[in-house]
Amino acid sequence: MYKTTGFISFLFRRVSGVALVLYLFMHIWVIGAANGGAEAFNARMAVLQAPLFRILEVALLTAVIYHGFDGIRLLIVHWFRVTEYRQSLFYAMFVLFVLVSIVGGVPLLLFALEGN
Amino acid sequence: MRVFIMQRLTAVALVLFLTLHMIVVHYPPGHLDFSRVIERLANPIWKGIDILFLLAVLIHALAGAYAVLMDVERVTPYKRALIGGSIILGVVAFVYGAMTILAFDPSALLAVN
Repeated sequence: MYKTTGFISFLFRRVSGVALVLYLFMHIWVIGAANGGAEAFNARMAVLQAPLFRILEVALLTAVIYHGFDGIRLLIVHWFRVTEYRQSLFYAMFVLFVLVSIVGGVPLLLFALEGN
Repeated sequence: MRVFIMQRLTAVALVLFLTLHMIVVHYPPGHLDFSRVIERLANPIWKGIDILFLLAVLIHALAGAYAVLMDVERVTPYKRALIGGSIILGVVAFVYGAMTILAFDPSALLAVN
């Protein structure tokens, strides 16, 4: 059971989902500095320019892409009633997830390493 | 069942909102400051889009967290409290988030300069 694509997809989707919920509330709080004016917002955003946060952005991006793509796969399986293809769709989704993560993550990583 | 439907509908909305958000806000990567954000949010249509995005993401996140927690046996008896707590948290986060979006006003930037 624990080695099936169904379980792996369920586990990754749940873990990424919980991480994204926690991130969402932190994000709302961070951006909320704008309520204190432009200077307060810029001061808080300056803290997030540290390399650690920029690298964490890449992890955030991969979590978003995985959660989103696996969610789309689930919608396709349920709406088009193609449960017999759910495993093939998982592999296709996973390849897409890796490719889009590389395409989206490399510019973020380069920006994090260049530090400008 | 209603939670399940809300989760699915907001999932579809988020595919659109999140793709749009990533393209216009995070690419190409760069320093995000008030003046960069205001370039976009000076337009009331973007403010409306962002408020709808906030609403969809909060419903999706809280419905998802509710589904995860309801799978925990110890939490199941507190279903009503969990729903109530989620609604309160959602409303507070939505009001605060919407106030934040509306705070990106060009006059705030002029006050700094």
